Order: sequence, then structure tokens, then C-alpha cells
Amino acid sequence: MINGDLMKKTSVFCVVLLFCIFLVSCSTPPNFEKQYFAMGTVITQNIYGTDPQKAADEVFSKIQQLESVLTINKAGSQIDTLNSNAGNGKWIPLDKEIIYILETAQKYAALSNGAFDPTVGPLVKAWGIFTDHPRIPPQTEIKRLLKLVNYKDLLLDVPNLSARLTKKGQIVDLGGIAKGYAGDVAKDIYIKDGIKSAFINLGGNVVALGSKPDGSPWKVGIQNPRQPDGKYLGIVPIRNQTVVTSGDYERYFERNGVRYHHIIDPKTGAPSKSGLISTSIITDVSINADALSTATFVLGLEKAMALVESLPGVEAIFITSDKKIYTTKGLQGVFTFTDTSGEFTYVEKR
Amino acid sequence: MLKKGDLILFGVIIIIIASAFLISNLSHNNSAGKTAEIIHNGKVLRTFDLNSITKSEDITIDDKYHNIIRVEQGRIRFLESTCPDQICVKTGWLTSNGDIAVCLPNQAIIKITGKADNVDIVA
Repeated sequence: MINGDLMKKTSVFCVVLLFCIFLVSCSTPPNFEKQYFAMGTVITQNIYGTDPQKAADEVFSKIQQLESVLTINKAGSQIDTLNSNAGNGKWIPLDKEIIYILETAQKYAALSNGAFDPTVGPLVKAWGIFTDHPRIPPQTEIKRLLKLVNYKDLLLDVPNLSARLTKKGQIVDLGGIAKGYAGDVAKDIYIKDGIKSAFINLGGNVVALGSKPDGSPWKVGIQNPRQPDGKYLGIVPIRNQTVVTSGDYERYFERNGVRYHHIIDPKTGAPSKSGLISTSIITDVSINADALSTATFVLGLEKAMALVESLPGVEAIFITSDKKIYTTKGLQGVFTFTDTSGEFTYVEKR
Repeated sequence: MLKKGDLILFGVIIIIIASAFLISNLSHNNSAGKTAEIIHNGKVLRTFDLNSITKSEDITIDDKYHNIIRVEQGRIRFLESTCPDQICVKTGWLTSNGDIAVCLPNQAIIKITGKADNVDIVA
């Protein structure tokens, strides 16, 4: 009798204790956050889960591997091989995922009528925008190089996983889409590792898995294009989605008071002057968002709005050079404008 | 079976655990501690409790470029840099949890740990 009573008490005690431990451990899942340098930017991983380090390491090595095959700054990478064989008729075998990236790039090039173009490489190189020695190329040079920019000259043989460029001197530059793809891959790795709640930020390309551990949506600040990194002018809540921003502030150099930014208009061969200084795309797949953010930046407000509104499941925020903010219809009432400086105006209804 | 004393015991245990949980949770979110980190090439070089700093200190990083980082009570910044874009210096003072400044060309990061008040991420 005494024994039985003690057993019961002990078991009730254990259940209560276990329940309490469960409560404590569940409501405060470990939060792992770390910054990395890769793909020419700073990458932040933020993971809630039991073994975040493992997933984070896996993601970072995958990103480094992607960078090594996609870079145009290293001789012998797959994309460099494609470029250096441009015009010689040879089909270049490529990894399946590179074919997928090229296919997606081509799709958005066609959709945007060439406002986004993966063959803009010769011009990016001429401006030296991602180097320590940017320059303004002479008009004659720009005119000559513009003839090399045409996404239709990138030929893909999808079943045989190979590609070629038709003209000598053509250069595929995946800078406008590679980070988006890397974000999608990171999310897949988190899912595979059983993580339910995480985000990765690749220099302004945010990809979220699930929602915050407490079930509420991730709150994504939209960078104020005229303030230092991290200062935002509005908030978009997302669950399991991606937000990709392209802005004239991300990379630029100044000569005689003129700002030359990194988004080259494939039609003019110069930094885009569409009247937009920042575009943010919100959707499910980050590679699509990445291509669209560049495309819409080059297209300008009217065409960009028309393009995005024609695509299901895609929302956008556009900021013009006269400091006005426009959103797609789907973001009205969702996007919260937070700038109190009076510098920017939110034009909710057009 | 279960005596009054046992119930009281369970009650006390639950209260203790619940309050421990509350306290740990509060201290997580509170900015009672403001910790700054200087990170270079993925390694944390120095950690500061910004609130307990009494006199300013300069920390230098020599790599491809030369960074001078100034730490003062409650704040930290890139003071000078030899890098071409100067984005790190232009970021200015970091004062709140979650603030970060990066010198990409020199692979240097300064940040105040923790989470910003109203947003999780900025894109």
C-alpha cells in the first residue's frame, strides 16, 4: 500500500515536471543567427530549431559551391566556360540546376521584353561596377557592346543539359538572379533538415521558411533607399514567402555628383534611369522575385505595375525618384508605411 | 491518494518553473544588456557590453583594407576605412539591438546583438 501510494505520487510528480520542462523548452526554441560573406554580399541566416548549426553549415557550403560554378570572375567556372566559348558553336555541358537558372532567366527576359537580360555581361564588365575601379565607358564602346546583349542568343538544350552563346564576346552574367536561386535552395535545405522556422537574407534577398516560432508572420522592413543599411520605411508581413529588393543604393559610384548604380538597362547600356530608385517583389519563389525586381526596376513604374499585376501571386512595392511609394493592389492594407520623416509619401490609391 | 501537501508541492513547483520561464523570457527581450560584436572573416574578434564602457576605444582591423572601429558608451561605429565604397563608415553609429554595419571589401562586421524592435529583417 505504502509503495503503491508512493509510486502514484512519484508518477504524477514526474508527469507534472515533464510537462513543465516541455513548456519551457517549447516556448523558447534556440535562435541561431550568423553572418557570412559570399556571392559578393553579406548573408544572414536566422534559424529556430534543434540543430541549426548543421543546417546553416550545409546552406553555406551549398552557396559557396553555387558561387564557384556561377561566377564570371574565376576562369574555368561553368558560366565562364560558357562565356569563353561564345560564338564558336560548341555546346557546353552544364549542371542541371544551372540549366534551370538559365531557363528561368530567359523566361523573365522574354516576359519583361528584355528589361531583365542575363546576357548584359559585356556592359556590366565595361562599367566595372563590381570592381574597385568603376568607370564610365565611352559611348562608342557602349554602342558596340549593346550589339552583344540579347537573351535570344543564349541557346539552351534542356534535355541534353547544355547551352551555348551564338556571338563571340557575349557574356552571361547571373548576378541578377543567382542570389534568388541560392535563397530557394537554402529554404529547401532547411525543410530537409526538419526546420520549421527560419529566414535567410542574401544582401536584400529575404527568403522565409514558415512563420515565426510563435506563429506570427515575419515582419520584413523595406529598406529606406536614402538611409543607411537597416533603416526601413515600411513593413510587410510574410509567411513562407520571399521579398527581394533591387535599389540604386546597393552598389554605385559617383562622378561629378552623378550617381552611377549597378542596374544596367540592357537597352541603353547605362545605369537604368526609369524613375524608380527601389523595387521590392514579394512572392513564393525567390529566383522569380530576383529576376522581377531587376526587370521592374528597369521598366519604370507604369510598365512594372502592369507586369506585376498580370502575374498571379506576385506583389510589389515601387519607390520613385520623387520619393513616392506605390504598391500593388494586393498589398493595400497589408503594407504598413512607417516613415515619419515626411521625406517619403505613400500613394495608396493611384 | 494525493494529499493536500502534495498538491501544494506541485503548485509551488509549477509557480517556480513558470516564474523562471517568465524571467528568462523577459531578459531575452529586454535591452538590459547591449552587447556589441566585432567580427572579421567569420570570427568574433571582440565583444563589448556597450552600457558598461566608460571611455572610448578604437579597434583596428588590417586586412585587404584598414578599418578603424570606435566603441563608446552605448554605441559603436566604423570611424574610418580605406575601402573604396565607404558604405561601412556611412552607416554611422549603431545604437540599438539588431543594428549592423558591414565592410564588405574587408569582410568586417560590427553589430549589436539581439533583435530590432519592430522588424525581423530588412530587405
